[in-house]
Amino acid sequence: MILSSIVFLPLLFALIIAVWPKASTIRHLALGFSVIEFLLSLSIFKQFDPSSSGLQMVEKFMWIERFGIQYFMGIDGISLWLVLLTTFLTPIIILGSWTAITERVKGFHVALFILQTAMLGTFLAMDAIFFYVFWELSLVPMYFMVGIWGGARRLYATVKFFIYTMAGSVLMLVAIIYMMYLTQEATGHMSASLLDFYKLKIPFVGGTFFSLQTLLFFAFALAFAVKVPVFPLHTWLPDAHVEAPTPGSVILAGVMLKMGTYGFMRWVIPLFPEAAEYWAWLFMLIGVVGIIYGALVAMVQPDVKKLVAYSSVSHMGYILLGLFAFNAYGMAGGLYQMLNHGISTGALFILIGMIYERTHSREISKYGGLAGVLPIFTIFFFIITLSSIAVPLTNGFVGEFFILLGTYKAQPVFAYFAVSGVVLGAVYMLWMFKRVFFGEKGELVKDEHHPLHDLSAREIAVLVPMVIMVFWMGLFPNHFLNYSKASIDYLVNNRSNYNLTIVNPGETPVQHAQGGN
Amino acid sequence: MNSTIGLSDILLISPMIALFLASLIPITAKVLRGNREQHPVVTLSQALIGIVIAIGLLIVFGGAGKTAFNNGLIFDGVTQWMGVIALAAAGAAMIMMYENPSTTGKQFSELIFLAMSSAIGMLILVSAVDLLMVFIGLETMSLALYLMIAMSHEEKLSKEAALKYFVLGSFASAVFLYGVAFIFGSTGGTNILAFMENAAELVQSSRLFLFGITFVILGFCFKVSIAPFHAWTPDVYQGAPTPHTAFMATAVKTVSFAAFLRVIATKSLIGSDHLFDILQWLAVITMIVGNTAAIIQNNLKRMIAYSSVAHSGYLLIGIITAGVSDNGAFGASGVIFYLLSYSLMTLGAFAVASMLERSENHIVNIEDLAGFARQRPMLALCLTVFLLSLAGIPPTMGFFGKFYLFNAAIGEGLLWLAIWGMISSVIGVYYYLRPIVVMYMKEGNAEVAGHSLNATTVTAVVMALAIVVMGFVSGPIFSAVEKSLF
Repeated sequence: MILSSIVFLPLLFALIIAVWPKASTIRHLALGFSVIEFLLSLSIFKQFDPSSSGLQMVEKFMWIERFGIQYFMGIDGISLWLVLLTTFLTPIIILGSWTAITERVKGFHVALFILQTAMLGTFLAMDAIFFYVFWELSLVPMYFMVGIWGGARRLYATVKFFIYTMAGSVLMLVAIIYMMYLTQEATGHMSASLLDFYKLKIPFVGGTFFSLQTLLFFAFALAFAVKVPVFPLHTWLPDAHVEAPTPGSVILAGVMLKMGTYGFMRWVIPLFPEAAEYWAWLFMLIGVVGIIYGALVAMVQPDVKKLVAYSSVSHMGYILLGLFAFNAYGMAGGLYQMLNHGISTGALFILIGMIYERTHSREISKYGGLAGVLPIFTIFFFIITLSSIAVPLTNGFVGEFFILLGTYKAQPVFAYFAVSGVVLGAVYMLWMFKRVFFGEKGELVKDEHHPLHDLSAREIAVLVPMVIMVFWMGLFPNHFLNYSKASIDYLVNNRSNYNLTIVNPGETPVQHAQGGN
Repeated sequence: MNSTIGLSDILLISPMIALFLASLIPITAKVLRGNREQHPVVTLSQALIGIVIAIGLLIVFGGAGKTAFNNGLIFDGVTQWMGVIALAAAGAAMIMMYENPSTTGKQFSELIFLAMSSAIGMLILVSAVDLLMVFIGLETMSLALYLMIAMSHEEKLSKEAALKYFVLGSFASAVFLYGVAFIFGSTGGTNILAFMENAAELVQSSRLFLFGITFVILGFCFKVSIAPFHAWTPDVYQGAPTPHTAFMATAVKTVSFAAFLRVIATKSLIGSDHLFDILQWLAVITMIVGNTAAIIQNNLKRMIAYSSVAHSGYLLIGIITAGVSDNGAFGASGVIFYLLSYSLMTLGAFAVASMLERSENHIVNIEDLAGFARQRPMLALCLTVFLLSLAGIPPTMGFFGKFYLFNAAIGEGLLWLAIWGMISSVIGVYYYLRPIVVMYMKEGNAEVAGHSLNATTVTAVVMALAIVVMGFVSGPIFSAVEKSLF
């Protein structure tokens, strides 16, 4: 029952907060709840078997029998770290938004916890319709978060975000229903279980767009590509990021974008192996274009939040590149980069939020010489900047290195171009850093009437865990990758006949029992 | 022809008798009291008790495909489900009538009498299996409705709406009757079960029959506002008092679809490709027209009216599915489930709209909702649930309604219709979000009308809860519907 409690506990928290009578203690309550949730999610490790590539801690009940739709949750090495990323970021977001969210505090935390349920459910659901419910549900709280607590153009941004992602995912629903009928043809009874979908052999014809597997592939890929977002479909992201309040940006960049890349790993690649292989060039191409385009556009942004938003487009391009390299380096790098991006971009948004609270401006040109005034802030910002541009010893380096290695092995041409993104990333981040923190003091920094205060103890408490993670993940990647290795290797080696087995907790899976003897 | 009326016939139509008797009580009481209105609560409760009894009788005596009055009426699963949905929706609309400023007051007994008469017409319509019976049901229902709209306290729009509805409705009835005449001429009967046995051949061999069945379908298309026969819908929905609009958009639409389903679901479409093509295009056009036209509306009721047109398009997909399928039960139960969810959400949305009307001439625009979430968080949340459900966002009931409908369509190979449905529902998301944006994200002081609206509030909250809860248990409900058919 541990996965169900992890997914639905936040919903219960949301209900408690909704009826909580004392407005002054809501933040403390929410913080406590989110820490409980994080500790609970840590308890997954007690049962999780890192040597197994199967689906663990499975919970499976029939939900809608007529259509074979199940309440079906399970965890493996691919979803494990994304779940932990979600539960890790939530307390940080709540503590980070302590003074940023001043209006409708109750509603904000209710939305946050509902969103947490939706995101965790997306990562853990193993039934297509069950997954789709969480997938779409996650739009609603995010929509309110941007729309109510966002910036000046929040209404435009939030409606655009909602419509864009919704439009991307409706064709996926059609494809899911179609695949349910395919399972009926294949096995005699309809099922929406992902495991049954994996067993389908969907006919593939190369060279034409109108072959069944290709069409289904694109119906799914479109939904995830909008969410990631990949290059031509990314335009909702800068708008949503810039207008979202700090915690909204952190969740959006930290977790919600990963729902897209996770979808590629869990759904698109194993479900449609031939089509994915055939069209890999396209996705690697838009990955590379995204890397370079995102970096170039980020370079010229006058608004530091928009700069980070475009850097997300660039970073997500790396992840896509890694996933479609179809080798262990690329996949592992892609998965690792998802976590890195969640930590470093999340931290960047938190830092930007902190400075915004002080000056109410994000114009790079109005800053300058901040290092002399806010030394502690500068140190934190510098560390996270290094992580974002993938300097060795930080987490970003491991991910990007693996991705580039994997890409080079698979398609060297794309690697040549992708490497330029590393340089460009350093250019836009460091140039921004220079303009904000060094040089002449900007108009906001030297403003005598509003002297800037350095970070408070609370703000340091928000940032320290992120910085620890940056170095931990940078120095000891195996601490993390060991848990995912079995799943990734299995995915890479058995892409064309991917088939997850259900491993019950406490039970040693058959193949490993033999190895042990 | 054997035309004796037995006890079983009487038992089967006992719901209608119960409704009729209950409808007479308030108006008789008014006469006996010297034309003085009894307290509206009493009137309302008499009507509601009548509806509850009718629902009970329908469940107890109906079902199992029993026919009454010389095969004129049939009482099967469709009758029961659609009848219960329609009666419950009518009851909820009457609760709204009791509190809305344009319907409550000095002629409330008469209004309730008319609404109950209309409900009798609805029951005839859901059980009719003879085209003449369908016509009788349609007219009983519609005539009462024309009067109901016209007697609103509102001065201008409702009169225009009543006249428009009357003229266009009569025209559609005439078209329908014309079609019936052709069917009678070519087959020698008007019993749906009888002539639909070989409808698949008849549509190919007999031009007259094809002509007749097309006209019958057109008549229905008008009633359920399928584009391009929907033009009356926005005007009438906007002009009529809000409770009446809710009544029309849910109960009337449900029973019209029930009769439509009966005609189509008997495989008449298998024989005629042209008819089938035309209906598919009508569904596509309806979805697109309804959803795009709703985007530019500022009036809340008018927006929901266009949304109701769009939902007719989705439902038409279900009807077509039932029509082409060998086992019509799947498509038909999709339609029934969708009508159930659609009725709940539309009733709820109109209930909130009704609460916002301060006087009989008050016009509620979407912008007037600004700040509603601050003033009335509970009601704003309810309206949000209704709108998200109408937009088909999981895990609400509206999502599962669409899922079952499109699932059946894809199962019958109507993939492209399902894709059209999905695409147009994305267009729909845009306008369903607008009231939510205004309620939650704009400053203002929207407030419900001053006088107490407790019953309507309760109705809205119950609907919202039902939508959320029934989303989770939609599977068993759907299976129950499907089992009760055929």
